[in-house]
Amino acid sequence: MSTDTGTASGTHPALQEEPLVAGNLSFHDITELVSRHTEKRTPLAWFGAFAIANILLLTLLVCIAYLFWNGTGVWGLNNPVGWGYAIVNFVFWVGIGHAGTLISAILFLFRQQWRTAINRSAEAMTLFAVMCALIFPGIHVGRVWAAYWMLPIPNQMEMWPQFKSPLLWDVFAVSVYFTVSLVFWYVGLVPDLATLRDRATKKLRRRVLGFFSMGWTGANRHWRNYEKAYLLLAALATPLVLSVHSVVSFDFAVSIVPGWHTTIFPPYFVAGAIFSGFAMVVTLLVIARKVYGIEDIITISHLEKMNIIILLTGTMVGFAYITEFFIAWYSGVQYEVFAFKNRAFGPYAWAYWTMMSCNLIFPQLFWIKRLRRSIPFMFVLSILVNIGMWFERFVITVTSLHRDYLPSSWDYYTPTAIDVLTFVGSFGLFFTMFLLFLRFVPMVAISEVKAVLPEADPHFYGHGDGQTGAHPPTLTPTVD
Amino acid sequence: MIELPILDAARGQSNTPVESTDPQAPKFWRSVGELEGDPSLAALASKEFLPGAMDAPDGTSRRQFIQLMGASMALAGLTGCRKPYEKILPYARKPEEVVEGIAMHYATAMPFRGSLSALLVESHEGRPTKVEGNPEHPISRGASGVFEQASILNLYDPDRSAHVLEGGADSDWGSFVAAVSAIPTTARVGVLIEENSSPTIAALRQRVAERFGNLKWVSYNSVGENTQEAGYASAFGRAVRPQFNFSQARVVVSLDADFLAATDVNFVRNTREFAEGRSVDDHTPLRHYVFEPTYSTTGGMADHRARVKPSEVALVAAALASRLGVGGAPPAAAPSGSAAGLVEAAAADLRSAGANGVVVAGDTQPAEVHAICAAINSMLGAVGNTVTLFDTAGVEMARRDSVADLVDDVKSGQTDVLVMIGVNPAYDLAGDSDLLTALEGLGTTIHVGQHVDETATLSSWHVPQTHYLESWGDGRAYDGTLSVVQPLIAPLYSDCKSAIEVLSALAMDGGTTGYDQVLRTWESVLPGNVAQGWRRVLHDGYLPDSGFSTLTNVGVTGPLRLPASSGAGASGLEVQIRLDTRLLDGSFANNAWLQETPELATKIVWDNVAVMNRATAEQIGVTNTLKAGKYYADEVRLSLDGRAVTLPAWIAPGIADDTIILSTGHGRSIVGTREKRRKIFFDLDEYTDIYGAGPIANGVGKNVAALRSASFSNQLSGVAAEAVPARYHIVTTQDHGALDLPSLQAEIESREPVRMATLSAYQNHEAHFEHAPLAGATEPWDEYPALWEDRHPSREEFFKDNPYYENQWGMTIDLNTCTGCNACSVACQAENNIQVVGKEEVGHGREMSWIRLDRYFVTEGRDIDEAMMVVQPLPCQHCENAPCESVCPVAATVHSPDGTNQMIYNRCIGTRYCANNCPYKVRRFNFYNWTKTLPTSVQMAQNPNVTVRFRGVMEKCSYCIQRVRKVNIQANLEDRSIRDGEVVTACQQACPANAITFGDISDPTSAIAAKKESDRRYELLEELSVKPRTSYLGRIQNPNPSLA
Repeated sequence: MSTDTGTASGTHPALQEEPLVAGNLSFHDITELVSRHTEKRTPLAWFGAFAIANILLLTLLVCIAYLFWNGTGVWGLNNPVGWGYAIVNFVFWVGIGHAGTLISAILFLFRQQWRTAINRSAEAMTLFAVMCALIFPGIHVGRVWAAYWMLPIPNQMEMWPQFKSPLLWDVFAVSVYFTVSLVFWYVGLVPDLATLRDRATKKLRRRVLGFFSMGWTGANRHWRNYEKAYLLLAALATPLVLSVHSVVSFDFAVSIVPGWHTTIFPPYFVAGAIFSGFAMVVTLLVIARKVYGIEDIITISHLEKMNIIILLTGTMVGFAYITEFFIAWYSGVQYEVFAFKNRAFGPYAWAYWTMMSCNLIFPQLFWIKRLRRSIPFMFVLSILVNIGMWFERFVITVTSLHRDYLPSSWDYYTPTAIDVLTFVGSFGLFFTMFLLFLRFVPMVAISEVKAVLPEADPHFYGHGDGQTGAHPPTLTPTVD
Repeated sequence: MIELPILDAARGQSNTPVESTDPQAPKFWRSVGELEGDPSLAALASKEFLPGAMDAPDGTSRRQFIQLMGASMALAGLTGCRKPYEKILPYARKPEEVVEGIAMHYATAMPFRGSLSALLVESHEGRPTKVEGNPEHPISRGASGVFEQASILNLYDPDRSAHVLEGGADSDWGSFVAAVSAIPTTARVGVLIEENSSPTIAALRQRVAERFGNLKWVSYNSVGENTQEAGYASAFGRAVRPQFNFSQARVVVSLDADFLAATDVNFVRNTREFAEGRSVDDHTPLRHYVFEPTYSTTGGMADHRARVKPSEVALVAAALASRLGVGGAPPAAAPSGSAAGLVEAAAADLRSAGANGVVVAGDTQPAEVHAICAAINSMLGAVGNTVTLFDTAGVEMARRDSVADLVDDVKSGQTDVLVMIGVNPAYDLAGDSDLLTALEGLGTTIHVGQHVDETATLSSWHVPQTHYLESWGDGRAYDGTLSVVQPLIAPLYSDCKSAIEVLSALAMDGGTTGYDQVLRTWESVLPGNVAQGWRRVLHDGYLPDSGFSTLTNVGVTGPLRLPASSGAGASGLEVQIRLDTRLLDGSFANNAWLQETPELATKIVWDNVAVMNRATAEQIGVTNTLKAGKYYADEVRLSLDGRAVTLPAWIAPGIADDTIILSTGHGRSIVGTREKRRKIFFDLDEYTDIYGAGPIANGVGKNVAALRSASFSNQLSGVAAEAVPARYHIVTTQDHGALDLPSLQAEIESREPVRMATLSAYQNHEAHFEHAPLAGATEPWDEYPALWEDRHPSREEFFKDNPYYENQWGMTIDLNTCTGCNACSVACQAENNIQVVGKEEVGHGREMSWIRLDRYFVTEGRDIDEAMMVVQPLPCQHCENAPCESVCPVAATVHSPDGTNQMIYNRCIGTRYCANNCPYKVRRFNFYNWTKTLPTSVQMAQNPNVTVRFRGVMEKCSYCIQRVRKVNIQANLEDRSIRDGEVVTACQQACPANAITFGDISDPTSAIAAKKESDRRYELLEELSVKPRTSYLGRIQNPNPSLA
């Protein structure tokens, strides 16, 4: 009963476009391709990667313990430069945590169906990146044991936080973003968890998955409620994507430090966040799709689309960099002019030009179609973009502070080994979480991918049997 | 609302079977009694156990007991979660005059370089914590310098010697007295005593001389002698001491003079007088010409300055003398370079100023130069006007010759017993290896000093000397006014003895106490009723009208000569050794506050360097490199006649060519006696523990005395300098990461942190100190709308209802009179418990000073070596629209109703956002727990009225809020308003130039309100619209119009 879709489709609109899923996969194939990685025996390579990630995580924990015991002085901060690696890392991780929700929420609302292949892992990445980010504001304060005073907890002193402080807005913005992202991600997971539950052969696994799939049966009513909830959450998450990094940018923009006090920051930060987030998604998925053999689901076309977004947002960020220079000159404020001259030609010029080349210049190569479809190229470039974006935050934070108004207080900031190891260690947390995700959670939204197959179109009659997709399964079911 | 079901009272309390109303219901019963409804049975059944089985016979049940015990255990255990506490023992018998929490103030005086600084010392429950100048004293007038301010920490120095040592081993005072008594009266005894003005010591000298027929008594000054007095004495042919009245002066010429540095004996009065002379508010300011080899404090206050090699200063003096037609002026070659032109202008100006001109030379210049200056001043008619001559006949002064004579005796074995009191010749004369060997080989050497120092380790006996706050003494201020040095505390270590007590033992005075000795002297000094007069002197701190008599009709009799060294180094390298402006001659080297006080011109802390200009450095082949914000200085080896010292080379502007400037006081080696601090293995806090490695003075810098021979010569020519392939990390508090300063100079100058104008521009109202608003702006800066302004607390009613709202505090700092002497900074450190962080942490940019002295060079197109140096003290500006306040997430920095920006330490969580947003960068963060490693004795120096900050909190200048509140309380008790001038901040109180004014700006009659009206007033960074409460008054330069 194999039907030649090529000839039979002819006029069907769903088949006139480039298919989102390659390799002529059936519904079952997709289930199989994704689910089996959570069901098979854990490969040794996973354990190897997990061990490395754990060592890094341990490094993070040791660095934090050292910091807590001795004080903020273990970092390279000094008097004019009160914020260094910790804040740079915070903004860096929050920025990375932008791609996921953007992909799942905004692209969902815009009916960008290609998002289905990557939204699950991108959202997971978002959550883990925000977890990494949340560490830093907590540990960077001088008296960590009192950090909870930033939260509006009723107390006998009747002391509230100071609501004018952008740091406080940060607390709310990032925690709301994390909560909503987590709920959104989990809601999207429910049908897939039910799929895993139904495939589970062991009782405990079935129980656990059964608990988390919340009694999902695939009933029509479930689907209807689910899709309504998903749509609402997408609508709720969409403004958060824009707000969270705008609020993070207020940390700088609301201050009076030359180089920080810039009204362009909110859109510029959001563009930069999407830029770095997509780069991180590309970095991770280029590896994951290869290792897990899901190249048919996450196709080169998916990656190309992300690269186009990288090109777009990179150019926006670059435009912002140049605008800042123009405005500094146009404002006629000598402190502003100096702050930007000092960025480009001062002692941190190396950081500035790293940022400029990684964020503005290199991504321009994505204008070339061959390059944006080249796996090795995009892998290298996506890493360069994140290096560039880390340096962007470094440039903003450090170069503005180290030479501000009064020349007498100018100084130079050098990170210590603890600074660097804490940052490296935060990748340990990120990868530990991401590896656990790859092992235990379907890394692709099975139900959503199925929904964008041509066969899922209710009007696809005549092109299949309406049951199992256009083709018989090409993969044999795994035997446990 | 949840409603709980109401329990049936009867059912809840009784176990009696419920009577069924239904007669048909089956009825079960257990006994006949139950069936019959026996009430006693029902009572029994209500309890599970029989009576006595459950309840304890008395009132407390087992349950109650367990409950109480559990609760008290829990409560007791909870306290274990807190920090360990210590019991504070109240006075069992309260001393009559002490009120706990209210400080007492006593007048006393600090012996300083042969003179006495009159002080008023604050004492908390018997513990002195803060030193101020004696406001009644004619010299001090309440002001003080860095050494007076920091001397309180010397009292609590953890490395003070505590025990009498004999041959390095512990001994005791009794054995010492026995040993001293056993010295035969025929012994050849040498006494080398710190130059002092004490009548009691002079009296004791007689008694010691009575005992030993063969006594050589030598006063000792660590720089050899006071060359100024020596020069004036030779010029006038009698012992005189000049005092300069700069307030009367129109023209001042300084020849390598640093009379505005705290090292000067009459520093406080000089600074006050100079500030008055420079004031533009009520008269035409003086004009100041400076000829000097390096930037000194005085040089920073110049209207015209020329760089002159140390040996050429004499030529300048001679040229001035000959231009002015001073009789007997020695013929001399004209000084080289730019100095020649300036000499002409200065001479012409001096001539026209006449009696209102004055020429002053510095300690570093030989007596001959001072003699020429004396002749010039005399010829100008300045004596009696700008120069007061005190008749110091009979005052024992240190003389280079007599020290050399005694040193020769020691070397040649002509001395049997050498007593060294309060001196450290082994350090000051470290270049004289013969002396060091001879000292060690001498039979009996007795050292009396506060440390087991270089000399103590060579001596057979060491007696720990008391601090001046621990012992009785006396002496004369610069003008001769007599004071009693009154102790405020018993010696911290029982073995400590004062010089008077040691001399008394030496004279075998039968164990007379220091108090009795001093009183005995004063019985003959005090006029009238001795008991009354004594109490009066102790209360006032000085004996009025006891000063030296002044001389008016004296003529120059002595010959005027050029010193042998003059011009000798006209070609070739010259080295000048100067007294360090922070560590003095090393006697303040173990003082952490001063080690961390930046040197004025170089801003270096915790080191001494060989300072030279760029041209000299290039000749020698040394550079300073900047790597990752840290300075690395090439080391330079200076050698002369086989003696050598190697130290880092430092390139600075404004130094004379071919000249290297060294400073004393560093490179000490003090033997520490402290036990090592116990710590647990996971305490990684060595880097915060500046006291951890023993005496802090050790290992800091190099002793430059090693370069010179037996003499105290401070100008060395023919020194060979060679670059050493070694780099040394130098730590400064300014210019980090700005070695490329020349390229940034234009940017820095255009920011105009220090605003200046010439006198003519100012008088013609052409000078504008306030920045004009941006072109096109219609409103002035202070009307710019500010973020959150509408929600500013000062707009709220509760704010205005607060009684503190009555006063609105503000400050002005007069940059025209501020000399940059650092007194404010150290005073603030002492008052506000500001911690010292050590070289490493200053290098990380973590110094804690609340008021820092920003130093800028102004080139205005001139060569960098001809740059002008200006200084700007920078405390918290207490902005009305404080940018720090709005960014703090926990409201830890807030505005007070009296208009100050306050830091709430126990609310601060340390986000450092406020510091980032402070445009003045005056906020200081406690990166570590700086106080954790403080030795107990240093903890005693802390001011109990100021919180000691813990790690992780921000701190900054509070406008001395503790002093404000003290006055608030007093005014409230007396039911009155605060009077103008009643609140004095620590920096203001110390400032000898009266450059700082503090007060209530809402009171139109206050001094501060008048200052704020000045047309020189400006606010730093006013264009940010932060509305600082601290204003600056611009500096007025008075250049010679003929040189313009």
